[in-house]
Amino acid sequence: MLTRGTLIYIGQRLVLIVFTVIVVSFGVFAVVHSLPGNAFVSDRVHGRALQILLHQYGLDLPIPVQYWNFLKGLVHGNLGVSLYIRDLPITPLVLRELSVSAMLGGAALIVTIGLGITFGVLAAIRQNTWVDYLLTGIAVVGYSVPSFVIASLGILIFGQWLNNVSHGALFYPEPWTGTYGTLAELSLPAIALGFYTSGQITRITRASMLEVIQQDYIRTARAKGLENRIIIIRHALRNALVPITSILGPTVIGIITGSVVIENIFGIPGLGKEFVESIFQHDYNVTVGVFTIYAVLIGISNLTVDLVYTVIDPRIRY
Amino acid sequence: MATILPTPVEYAGGTLAGEQVSLWRDGVRRLRRNRLALTAAIYLMVLALICVVSLFWTPYKPNLVGSCPTYDLPSGAHPLGCDDLGRDSLSRLMVGSQVSLAVGLATAFIVLVIGVVVGLVAGYFRGTIDAFISLAINIFYGVPPLLVAVALYVLLGPSLINIIIAISATGWMDMARLSRGQALSIREREFIEAARSGGARAGKIVFGHIMPNALGPIIVQATFVIPAAILTAAFLTFLGFGVPPPTADWGGMASEGLPSLQGGFDPYILLWPAVALSVTLLAFNFFGDGLRDAFDPRQKR
Repeated sequence: MLTRGTLIYIGQRLVLIVFTVIVVSFGVFAVVHSLPGNAFVSDRVHGRALQILLHQYGLDLPIPVQYWNFLKGLVHGNLGVSLYIRDLPITPLVLRELSVSAMLGGAALIVTIGLGITFGVLAAIRQNTWVDYLLTGIAVVGYSVPSFVIASLGILIFGQWLNNVSHGALFYPEPWTGTYGTLAELSLPAIALGFYTSGQITRITRASMLEVIQQDYIRTARAKGLENRIIIIRHALRNALVPITSILGPTVIGIITGSVVIENIFGIPGLGKEFVESIFQHDYNVTVGVFTIYAVLIGISNLTVDLVYTVIDPRIRY
Repeated sequence: MATILPTPVEYAGGTLAGEQVSLWRDGVRRLRRNRLALTAAIYLMVLALICVVSLFWTPYKPNLVGSCPTYDLPSGAHPLGCDDLGRDSLSRLMVGSQVSLAVGLATAFIVLVIGVVVGLVAGYFRGTIDAFISLAINIFYGVPPLLVAVALYVLLGPSLINIIIAISATGWMDMARLSRGQALSIREREFIEAARSGGARAGKIVFGHIMPNALGPIIVQATFVIPAAILTAAFLTFLGFGVPPPTADWGGMASEGLPSLQGGFDPYILLWPAVALSVTLLAFNFFGDGLRDAFDPRQKR
């Protein structure tokens, strides 16, 4: 499985990830530090007091030196301290938020892949019937309707109408409780987030299933008298999965990006919410930290997706 | 197995003799037969018309606070109701189309220019230039587009132009990759060799010979850039990184409507911009699909 070539490939990709993280974090670092204003604006400190404060957090140094200090900290896993909530270390904060976002993203990924593949397979085996038209129609709606619209409609339907109709017996509990929420609270955000990307997966699954079920080995399997269910799941879907993996990368990035919006709507204390808040609060150390984590996350998910290819399609070797 | 060839009648839509049609006219014919794409095109034309009309006339002044009672539900005088500041929702919805269309079209144009030039140059010259451009593409793929757009937008300051710049800066990679692939395959064809042996300069070959032949898939891709840009812009404005407040835009209107939806007293403020946005994106996607089926028959759905 892990041949020498694969290990070299993984090594190369890791180098590219490190390089990307350095370029991205420097870019964001330069951007946020050239902005007017800082986190101390609301403190109304001026003159000497401000100088002392800036010196205390190393903000009076030239930007390349500040960046070098940031990189030195990064190697030790230290992303510095928050400037808004004075001296709060960023690394534990960001890691906790990452775990919340990962939970939401993972749930959304399950929704996306589950819905997408089910719809795609059903549409393909019922090609040109009303089932096909309905499911492909849902798919197009899926990737045309912004996730915040789905989320708002979900809140409207499950949070209010259903609540009114059932006199409070059935409802979506809207305010997110605690750090991780409950399964009921997770359901709507995960569906709103996953529905958008599931449209593309439906499309590709349908197209590739249609191609696969015309092939000779499927006819052979039919001639052998295999049960249709087994033919579809074990023989056809197995090979139809190969093109699907090619859009897994964009799917994962779509979910990570979409989570920024969804977390802000539902008030989920994840990375995306922190990102937007830190910008509005001029808490630039946190902004840089969150961005760095995002760059690492995307690099690693892309690498994972590429390695999943080799499992699903053994012909691919690196 | 005997294959039944389609008769000329089926090809030429009525005429018995297989009339000669250019690729372009054939494409237009196929597009016109696609009802979904045609409906989408008509909707988009109506939207463009509304957008132009809203430049000169709206039922009420879109930014006039208190032109009707706050949270007024849809009524005869205000067909779509009023928002939290008592502004007429219909007028704001009409004006909001300007931002969406401007962002969509301008971004598609910028992405088209940057992506095609960068991609064709990388694909034609290969070697160091290609390696450098491909590395840049890979790095840009490694960052979440929405977040970079937010960072750029914060740096540049709040304005419509800056939204367009921020979205273009994160959206050119797909176009560049497509153009690069096209250039890589077209540069090996005989007519390029002929042009080169005829003494044509690199610029002439890339933009005079390769570009016209690569244009089909590129234009189809460009029509998908428009909805993607509108969507990203809506996300940005929804998060509060939008055009400065009094100006109406659909993402911002949806975001203003969210509290009154969550409060449970007026869902309409959010509903209208959400519907307008969704239908517009749907129309662009349907039209793009139709365009691809009509003009790029090699590509499968």
